[in-house]
Amino acid sequence: MASSSAVDAKGAWNGGKSPFNVSYGKLMMWYFLLSDAFTFSALLITYGALRFSAPTWADPNHVFNAMPFFPSLKAPLGFVSIMTFILILSSVFVVLAVIEGHRDNRKGVLFWMTGGIIGGAMFLGCQAWEWMHLINGLSHAHGMSFMGINFGPGTEDYPIQFAYLFFLITGFHGFHVFSGVCLNIWAWWNTYTGEFGSRNNHYEMIEKVGLYWHFVDLVWVFVFLAFYLL
Amino acid sequence: MENLSDAEYKSQVRAVWIATGWLSLITIIEVVIALIWLYVYDPEGNLNGTMKRYLLNAFFVGASLLKAYFIVGEFMHVKYETRALAITILAPTMFLIWFIIAFLWEGGAWLGMRNFWGI
Repeated sequence: MASSSAVDAKGAWNGGKSPFNVSYGKLMMWYFLLSDAFTFSALLITYGALRFSAPTWADPNHVFNAMPFFPSLKAPLGFVSIMTFILILSSVFVVLAVIEGHRDNRKGVLFWMTGGIIGGAMFLGCQAWEWMHLINGLSHAHGMSFMGINFGPGTEDYPIQFAYLFFLITGFHGFHVFSGVCLNIWAWWNTYTGEFGSRNNHYEMIEKVGLYWHFVDLVWVFVFLAFYLL
Repeated sequence: MENLSDAEYKSQVRAVWIATGWLSLITIIEVVIALIWLYVYDPEGNLNGTMKRYLLNAFFVGASLLKAYFIVGEFMHVKYETRALAITILAPTMFLIWFIIAFLWEGGAWLGMRNFWGI
């Protein structure tokens, strides 16, 4: 009478274990990233809608052709390709840190996480340079201002929405990179002190932080597509 | 935790570097094609708005989706998760298909109205 089919231990969905075979924390990180993906999609689709509605649009090969240390060089896609490779490599280093975590290799985790943190910091530095260049470096005669900030690439040829969307979307992405670097530093420190090593789930926090970090890389693929390639 | 055997460890690290190679290769091809288009094929921008340019854009979108596959599948480990988890994460993104179509359509309709009313 009390027995029922609800205690069928074989079915993954009958309770008593995670049907997804992941921990609660990792699943929730995935759901957070899914919601964040929709936020970024909404921003990028707004970009698409406004671009389709504008009679003219900025030429990315003209706006983004500057290269640091080579002021006279015109290199469309040059600097942004370097930034893309920095972010991809940083992501790779964090995957390798996750794999070392599965081996309980504390030194390996620290080594690769260091690489991931340096890559993220370099990307932020590149982005800071690009923003400074776009805000200050272009002709002030054609600059546009918004809340007192001169938003470089604004002329009669460039709809102001282009600059708004560029700073909004790369700014929101850059904020994710910044928080990702902070999380990576936090994870590095807890690995260094042995905190993660002494936990029951060992280095799983490296996986969760790593998921966030790869997501930042994933978003960059589409920011690169929308702003620089299309 | 799982104790990785040396063979598993080596194959996992190898898979990561192969995915890295693909990501780099796709990015390089994208950039090279964009530069050839810019400097050799269409330096004056005459082909903007033509079918040829739309095909190039379709190639860029396809290449980006391929890069997304390597990042989500390999780096974020979805290829090795249970099928149920992969579906839970990936199926909701199908909403984006209509989201994109509807809003680009809306943008085009706006432009049509602007041209019609001359604003």
